[in-house]
Amino acid sequence: MKSPALEFDALAAAVSALPDSGLTAARQSALEELRRDGMPGVREEDWKYTDISALVDITNNWLAGGSTAASTAAEPAAGLEAHWITIANGRVDENSIEPLPEGVTVTRLANIRSDLAQLGRLGAFNTALLHDGLHISVASDAVLDKPIGLLLSDYAGGGACVSQVRVNIELAPGSRASFIEHQVSSGVGDLYANVAVNLAIGDNAGADYVRIQDRAPQHNQTGYHGIELGRDARLRQASFDLGGRLIRDDLVVNIAAPGAEAEFGGLYLVGDGQHVDNHTRVDHRVGPAVSRQEYRGILAGRARGVWNGKAIVHEGADGTDAEQSNHNLLLSQSAEINAKPELEIYADDVKCSHGTTVGQLDEMALYYLRTRGLDKSDARQMLTRAFALAIVGRSPIEQIEQLLLDAIDARLKGLLRETGA
Amino acid sequence: MLQIKDIHATIGGSEILRGLSLDVAAGEVHAIMGPNGSGKSTLAQVVAGHSDYEVTAGSVTYRDIDLLDLEPEERAREGIFLGFQYPVEIPGVNNAVLLRSALNAKRKHQGLDEIDAFEFLKLAKEKMAMLGMDPKFLNRGVNEGFSGGEKKRNEILQMAMLEPSLAILDETDSGLDIDALRAVAEGVNALRSPDRAIVLVTHYQRLLDYVEPDHVHVLSEGRIVRSGDKTLALELEDKGYDWVREAANG
Ligand SMILES: Nc1ncnc2c1ncn2[C@@H]1O[C@H](COP(=O)(O)OP(=O)(O)O)[C@@H](O)[C@H]1O
Ligand SMILES: [Mg+2]
Repeated sequence: MKSPALEFDALAAAVSALPDSGLTAARQSALEELRRDGMPGVREEDWKYTDISALVDITNNWLAGGSTAASTAAEPAAGLEAHWITIANGRVDENSIEPLPEGVTVTRLANIRSDLAQLGRLGAFNTALLHDGLHISVASDAVLDKPIGLLLSDYAGGGACVSQVRVNIELAPGSRASFIEHQVSSGVGDLYANVAVNLAIGDNAGADYVRIQDRAPQHNQTGYHGIELGRDARLRQASFDLGGRLIRDDLVVNIAAPGAEAEFGGLYLVGDGQHVDNHTRVDHRVGPAVSRQEYRGILAGRARGVWNGKAIVHEGADGTDAEQSNHNLLLSQSAEINAKPELEIYADDVKCSHGTTVGQLDEMALYYLRTRGLDKSDARQMLTRAFALAIVGRSPIEQIEQLLLDAIDARLKGLLRETGA
Repeated sequence: MLQIKDIHATIGGSEILRGLSLDVAAGEVHAIMGPNGSGKSTLAQVVAGHSDYEVTAGSVTYRDIDLLDLEPEERAREGIFLGFQYPVEIPGVNNAVLLRSALNAKRKHQGLDEIDAFEFLKLAKEKMAMLGMDPKFLNRGVNEGFSGGEKKRNEILQMAMLEPSLAILDETDSGLDIDALRAVAEGVNALRSPDRAIVLVTHYQRLLDYVEPDHVHVLSEGRIVRSGDKTLALELEDKGYDWVREAANG
């Protein structure tokens, strides 16, 4: 099989054309890395079910067109109380940064000499083409009263458009903060957005993180979220994949200090023509520590879903408690899910469990609701919503619950319509 | 109100109802008794509209409507209620949400506005008090983790809220302790009125001590083999089902 190949000459030219900044050196070395390693292909185990050659094609078209899409004035979701910082088409919106809440510092990566850790297989691609990025730090013992919102907004007016987003977040010991990452896009052109986020949670600090992916149905995204937990640190994370065409997210959690607790999970609602892949990996390097993950998917039409949850309990990580589950509801015969839990245990005193299910709507429950006078479509909506609620319930930021429910209801309506219910 | 004429019904290719006829008039309470496997639940599900059962002959008419043409939800909105022998657990669907949606579906069909949240809560609490149900059951998932008796009470709660014209209760009395049985009987008696009809599918005479039937039928092998008044139930209790079977086979 032909592996997706980037047009390197055009890419190198595009990298050189980026404004000179603190990122210049990092871009050049990332370019070399990319030249050596290439883009991930389906022969790699982790990319077996997600073929990004179409995204490489978009990139090549974008390079050929020499287009740098104008950034757009994107609006944060209405009614969401958060301190929103906008990154539109990979450009940081300077005006959205100030005034910052007390205890928070934001630095633009372009303004400092940045040596960026490469996040994931697409990290080099991200760094090479990075226009600018953010470094957000929360001071020791600071407790933020409002979430920090990251509005990742892209507009693809015509032709092809590629954008890179990079955000590093650092929570100093004892601090508490919550984050909403809202990924949206518009426009009829082809879009490929590549997002890389690194979140380091210091000792005794706690982060709540919600990712809402609501891209336009013709747009694509790959994302990487690397999370480090310090001693007694706590992560509560939930993701919601509602839109997009080809979507891939890697959530990689590193537990390198005892007492850490990581709860994460996600909901993916996938319709005809969509492909949504969530890969997770937790490394338990020391114990005791807890990780719990639950992902749920509802798939309709010829939807494709992938969930791969890897938990590695390293030698000596005694007292590890790792739990993972993945449940899927297939609304049509032609929808497909590849679900795979992977546990690797090299320690003795551990508690690990995993469970994966794939099922259809419960016909008996559907009938029961109908005998109470509910329309077939209302009954189906009620049952699919109930299935999704388990993940909404895990979402750590209470204020956005109603917004999530409304978005989920709307998306489920669409999925059920596709299924002809 | 309900006329069943010589119906034959099959499930998975085997014929379960074999020429069953039954006439239920408004204001009446009918009891249907019979041994396990005789087709009582099949009869109830055929009236409610379960699509796994195929009616191969005969007719079911409800207030001049050919019932077999209607979807289960349409039958419900026309005023038919089935209390399930095995109520379905639906995790994640809130009991109150179901009750309210069911009530509003019916009201919409009748051309009425949706019930407001306050009125709904008041009504639900009133009915729950009558049935001796803790109001916190409103916020549980539908039948989720309910005991057998709690599930049956929940069925009666739904019935009490929806006030159907025709209620069919499939062994709602099975497995209940005496308090629960009394509560169920109270719910049924509260519904009794000249323009409603109730069909009690039961295995035992016990419930009939609290809800006095106008007619008692004995079902055996998919047919009604004997009908009578409430004394038939007592006679059955006394002599057992073999007696009916022998009488039927003559
Ligand atoms: N899905 C099915 N396929 C085949 N036979 C069935 C099925 N469901 C029920 N039956 C049979 O139908 C008969 C009547 O069942 P049912 O109506 O539940 O009886 P009752 O309620 O009187 O105990 C039984 O013999 C039962 O085994
Ligand atoms: Mg039965």
